[in-house]
Amino acid sequence: MDENNSEKEIQNREMSCLIKEKLNSFGTSISPEMFEEFINFSVEKLWVSYTQNWQEKESSIQDKMNALDISFPNGTTNKEYAQSFIIDDDEFERIEFEGLENVGLQFLKDEAANAFTIKGTPTIAGDFDIKMKCYYRGWIPGKNILERVFHIAVNPDPRSLWKNIPTSSEIEYYKPDSESFLLSVENEKNVVVASQRGRSHAHEGKARDDDFKIEYTDSKWYLTAVADGAGSAKYSRKGSQIACETVINHCKEALKDSTMFEEFIKFYNDDAENPTNRKYVGDNLWNIVGNAAFKAHRAIKDEATLKGAQLKDYATTLLLTICKKFEFGWFIASFWVGDGAICIYDKSSHRINLMGTPDGGEYAGQTRFLTMPEIFSDTASLYGRLKFAIVEDFTSLFLMSDGVSDPMFETDANLNKVEMWDKLWENLNHEIDFSNNNEQINEKLLSWLDFWSSGNHDDRTIAILY
Amino acid sequence: MRRLPVYLLIDTSGSMKGEPIESVKVGLEAMLASLRQDPYALETVWLSIITYDREVKQLNPLTQIGEFQLPTITTPDSGPTHTGAALELLCSVVDKEVKLSSTQQKGDWMPLLFLMTDGKPSDIQLYNSMIPEVKKRHFASIVACAAGMHAQTDPLKMLTNQVFSLDTADSTTFKQFFKWVSDSIGVGNKSIGAVEDLVLPPPPEEVNIVI
Repeated sequence: MDENNSEKEIQNREMSCLIKEKLNSFGTSISPEMFEEFINFSVEKLWVSYTQNWQEKESSIQDKMNALDISFPNGTTNKEYAQSFIIDDDEFERIEFEGLENVGLQFLKDEAANAFTIKGTPTIAGDFDIKMKCYYRGWIPGKNILERVFHIAVNPDPRSLWKNIPTSSEIEYYKPDSESFLLSVENEKNVVVASQRGRSHAHEGKARDDDFKIEYTDSKWYLTAVADGAGSAKYSRKGSQIACETVINHCKEALKDSTMFEEFIKFYNDDAENPTNRKYVGDNLWNIVGNAAFKAHRAIKDEATLKGAQLKDYATTLLLTICKKFEFGWFIASFWVGDGAICIYDKSSHRINLMGTPDGGEYAGQTRFLTMPEIFSDTASLYGRLKFAIVEDFTSLFLMSDGVSDPMFETDANLNKVEMWDKLWENLNHEIDFSNNNEQINEKLLSWLDFWSSGNHDDRTIAILY
Repeated sequence: MRRLPVYLLIDTSGSMKGEPIESVKVGLEAMLASLRQDPYALETVWLSIITYDREVKQLNPLTQIGEFQLPTITTPDSGPTHTGAALELLCSVVDKEVKLSSTQQKGDWMPLLFLMTDGKPSDIQLYNSMIPEVKKRHFASIVACAAGMHAQTDPLKMLTNQVFSLDTADSTTFKQFFKWVSDSIGVGNKSIGAVEDLVLPPPPEEVNIVI
């Protein structure tokens, strides 16, 4: 060490002598003090120019670095993340990243190809700053390491954000968050129904707005009702309940003695081309099903008056079917106002019979409700909501709220595709045993309703006659 | 999947330069962070930002909240506020981007519009003629926000009955405002089947309702 120092001192002295000699050769004689000042002056000037020089170079590289086309899309927790980029400029000799470990990411480089990849699986959601550091060509210790900060946002997995807050039993018109029921009929088709509060309601501790009711009458009619209360109407949970109760009770009463009606159905079956036969069945249906719907409308109106609320506060859709087996096959009639779906599905003949069209508007969530007076003011369109069919046999008769039909069918066009119903039936059979002796089927159907579909978190109700 | 389109129209005229626009950015960042914490918003909200000064720009097309990255927002040194032209651009992008129901496709939820300004429309004639056009686009809700002392509320009241004013254009008030915006988006989300105007949550203290 000492030896080195003394060697340097000797060198410095030699350098001073050399400069002095040079100055002498110009004929300049210089005092030691002036010589000292001259040296200081020169060094300072050179240093400024030297520093300026490399700072300019740095700043131009920094500009290039800022202009590099690199961006980081947002990630999602527990979902693989990978973003690659190429830096095709050998001025950037070495690239490092700082702060990636906070996001759960790694930096991989393929120097030969100038290709870089940030990858990994983020575990925590949040906003992260990561620093890209660059050692440029010609960088030596003492110079700046260039930096550029990037922002990576990691979204939480939406599934982890949904809360399930039970509905307070203290609220007006309380109803359980889920319900299911199996109506088994000996040696005949059964009806299973399940209704589950949607995640959007569960997240806020709000009640289920859907409802249902099923009955099997002494005269062997299957009565099924499903109603979907409007999410925006404050008492719709009661509206849907009154709707189901009222229509089922009315139909039960009206079908107590159904001998005449059944005679008309037989006439119709014998000669469906005869308009009189068709009219008789239609007129009877008007009295039974049409009146049931109108009664439900009135019952809701009465409840609203009693409560001092508005009718639209109870807005609800209604899907209703009445169904009976005859020696020639099954007679199925329906009334449908609003969205959702009613459909007779037969797997063996690969046929469906969609019992109407869902009421929809230009935008999502727009539909018609049983509570709208105009539903009943126009008898022609009301008549159009009644449908009936006779089929030899069928695999299943479905009634479902849009909480199920939306994620399963997406569009109205798909509701008319038998393949889509095949898919639904397969999907159901995958998880549920529809054999006659399955007594837990309603529980199974209820858990099936928990299926995940991004953005579809409405209440879900499905009734299946099988 | 059903989308909830949300359009933010932000005044970037010269007077917004400096602290006001920086505060808006802070507010927007906070809004995004909060929407990303809401599962419904994360799955359904699609956001687009349109800025307007002399020029009108759609900074990003409708983008799902999960993928949304705050674009660079710049302000010129001075110049007019072309609010009318902003509404004109809005109408054309809504026509292009917002999906209506058909048998073949699932429609979006009715879109929401938030408009923020710290002044008044310089192109008042165009502004007035665009108002009926905007109304034809069936926004579920239009909220206008007048920020700072020089913002005029009268032109905004012609656009919507939901006009709010912020006394100051600093980061606290903007943050509050955008928090409220994100809460309102939440409400828009959950009002399934809403046909009438949305019922918004009560505004925060910093926001004054203009009657």
